[in-house]
Amino acid sequence: MAEIGHGGKEIQERIMQPAEAKEKIKGLTQIPVRKQIANEIINLAYGWFCPLEGFMGKDDVDGVVKNMRLADGTIWPIPILFDLSQDEVEKFGVKPGQSVVLEYQDNPMALFEVTEVFEYDKAAICQAVLGTTEDKHPGCARTYSYKDKFVAGKITLLKEPKINEPFGPYFLPPLKMRAVIKEKGWNRTVAHQTRNVPHTGHEWLMKGAFFQTYGDLPIEKPEVGVVVNAIIGEKRVKDYIDEAIILCQDELEKSGYFGPHNHLSSLTFWDMRYAGPKEAVFHAILRANLGITHHMYGRDHAGVGDYYGAYEAHHLLDTVGEELDITPVYSMNWLYCPVCAEITSEGLCNHKDQQQKFSGTLIRSIVTDGVKPPRLIIRPEVFDQIMACAEKYGEGSPFVTEEYLEKRTPVFNIEPL
Amino acid sequence: MAGKNPIYLWVNEERYEQLEKAGLAHHTEERLAGLKVLIVYADDDQAKTFVQKFGAKHDTSTTGSIELLPKDVKHRLFEKVVEKQSIDVVGDVLASYS
Ligand SMILES: [Zn+2]
Repeated sequence: MAEIGHGGKEIQERIMQPAEAKEKIKGLTQIPVRKQIANEIINLAYGWFCPLEGFMGKDDVDGVVKNMRLADGTIWPIPILFDLSQDEVEKFGVKPGQSVVLEYQDNPMALFEVTEVFEYDKAAICQAVLGTTEDKHPGCARTYSYKDKFVAGKITLLKEPKINEPFGPYFLPPLKMRAVIKEKGWNRTVAHQTRNVPHTGHEWLMKGAFFQTYGDLPIEKPEVGVVVNAIIGEKRVKDYIDEAIILCQDELEKSGYFGPHNHLSSLTFWDMRYAGPKEAVFHAILRANLGITHHMYGRDHAGVGDYYGAYEAHHLLDTVGEELDITPVYSMNWLYCPVCAEITSEGLCNHKDQQQKFSGTLIRSIVTDGVKPPRLIIRPEVFDQIMACAEKYGEGSPFVTEEYLEKRTPVFNIEPL
Repeated sequence: MAGKNPIYLWVNEERYEQLEKAGLAHHTEERLAGLKVLIVYADDDQAKTFVQKFGAKHDTSTTGSIELLPKDVKHRLFEKVVEKQSIDVVGDVLASYS
């Protein structure tokens, strides 16, 4: 049976057989690409970006900027762009009708069938997608850093990437993820977007969303799975290291706070644009393509600073909900209440003066001190896993350092054909 | 020496015993499900040094707390508290880095 993705299009992997790949790239110019582009090539080839089959042309970008839609009317909130400088366009002889090979880590990665070379006003992109043109917004900074020419065309991966440990088991592209969900027998699934190591506040966000998603389904057998989908992309100093994020999320399942019958950890390669509401819609598309039926959204989803209102993403999702193959599940914050003596929801407990809220900075400060918090705050197995990851992958720190960025094993490698 | 900017030093059982021996256990407070914390304070100039020299974040908008200090700095702060039997240690620790 065909697997239908966003926009009603069938998800088909765009990956060549090795013999075909060698033949197809003979004599073609090779263009090296950076990590962001390599991530997006993977997304295009496996169907995370369905219905896109390649980097966008001007009509699509124009539609996204003006109406949050592709040229054919499909909802799409963030342009997927391949940039080159004018010098590079000339040097590599990039022109419509001429295929080139995209190269990553010095190896051929993808065939790029160029259809168009164009320019687009970057400030207009920023204003439309991010709601601001200020270069201190990290999404604007990224957009302004693009070179001046954009190149459109279909992408086909020449060979599957080698996903390095410990990430291998969590790389579940759309067709694979859909097969796993079927195997588990889940009727509904709910996506948890994360770039965090989980404390119990996060654990309860997932548990709350599990119940919201369960709704009217029968309870004789497990019908709902929480799918943690960690965003693995550009790291900044003091973020949690990728290895700790994915292994600690999985630890909640391994240690029995969830189980394989209701929980699954996975990852998506993507450099956050911090586009708030627009990124919320984008995340919905990614997860719909993964075959997930529901998506958790808390306050200020994918926001940064005070650019977006706490519920702006929810409002935007509500306007386009009909066209997304995924149902938003809105989450209230969870906190610790010493009177209730438990983790509870801000929507439930009324001991307003005594509630102890989770704060990312507070938790980081505890983790930095290496002081194991009560199990009601961070599960002891998760805390031990954080410390183990720090030793094994983080040069002693669970947070990104310059040393980690320099020495870490890449998440994936492109190997010779 | 104006300003009173808190730095949170988290206290497990082992640390609590050390503080008891130093006669400082009564300075700890309970946060987050009973987890104990010892708060030492930096003045505004010291806070600036933490930001400039150690990449810390100074939350000037709300509590004034100094966050994201490197592990080594936080460990030295705690060790100094125990050694000096005092919570007035920020100056000593900053001096130990110069
Ligand atoms: Zn309560």
